[in-house]
Amino acid sequence: MSTEIKILKQVLSKYSKPMTLTYPSTVAPDRRYSQIPEGLRGIPERDNDKCIGCRACYFVCSGRATSIYDKDAKRTVEIFLFRCTFCAHCQEACPEEAIKMTNKFEIAVPDREDPAARVLTDLELLKCKNCGTPFVTKKLADRTYERLMEKIDPIVKETVSTDYKKLDGYCPDCKRAYGVDFDTHTKKYVWLEGI
Amino acid sequence: MGIIDKSRIYSPWLYHLHCGGCNGCDIETLAALAPRFDVERFGIQLVPSPRHADILLTTGCVPKQFIPMVKRIYEQVPEPKVVVAVGSCACGGSLFYDDAPDNYAILGHPDLLIPVDVYVPGCAPKPEAVINGVVQGILKLAEKRTKK
Repeated sequence: MSTEIKILKQVLSKYSKPMTLTYPSTVAPDRRYSQIPEGLRGIPERDNDKCIGCRACYFVCSGRATSIYDKDAKRTVEIFLFRCTFCAHCQEACPEEAIKMTNKFEIAVPDREDPAARVLTDLELLKCKNCGTPFVTKKLADRTYERLMEKIDPIVKETVSTDYKKLDGYCPDCKRAYGVDFDTHTKKYVWLEGI
Repeated sequence: MGIIDKSRIYSPWLYHLHCGGCNGCDIETLAALAPRFDVERFGIQLVPSPRHADILLTTGCVPKQFIPMVKRIYEQVPEPKVVVAVGSCACGGSLFYDDAPDNYAILGHPDLLIPVDVYVPGCAPKPEAVINGVVQGILKLAEKRTKK
């Protein structure tokens, strides 16, 4: 009897659903794939409005997929997907939460120079008021000031904010060179040590 | 288009060339060939010799010792042929490859040696991404066959 059941099972298994997943999926019209596991790390996407060009993603990138280059008062932040390992380190490091991993993974391209193989963001650079060299992105300068004012000790807040406005728009070299002229030297904080 | 061209487009044979690396992409590629993600429904069949193949599927970055083999295997595949690079290592070198290629052991991506037609980035790409790449490779093969 038991052997008969076994044979029956074998016969019926021929009529069960095939294990091959349909491609593209026919499960539902809005679902292209039969199976996308939860938490799948696909290609990274960057929000162009949120990105400030601070280079945090550049420093943590393990495959050296992220590159940043300045040209003609414009900073370009790029992820080259051919070298990206989808490790999501840039997502963790981004202070503005601009980078998000999506679950897109079908990015087969026929050419190295294909625009689909790169995640690009263009940012405007500020020019130094004195020497005219572009040195920092506009968004990064604004955001730095905001964050400085959030976290600073209330005792020095006023002095620092006035000093910051005096120096605003000058490149690091000019700041160092003309620090005395601007009367922003740190020696004026010496009196704080007594408190 | 003759009957031979037509049949070879409908059933391209695939040779899997593992250049080097961590074997992650190979596992995903084999999953794509196996019944669950079945590329055989597009007529693709895995062959054990490059002399029978139409599509050369490469994975991993190329160590310097493997350079002559890659060239030889590429030359053994009969024309017209299509090369599909699977994985970030095969596309751009990824973690193993420096921009200044002074590494004593590793050359980098196979694109430096042989012309690649389709790139499938991913670390490792999902089997569905591999299928997508191979299907694009078939379209390229059809182009090459009709041009001939």
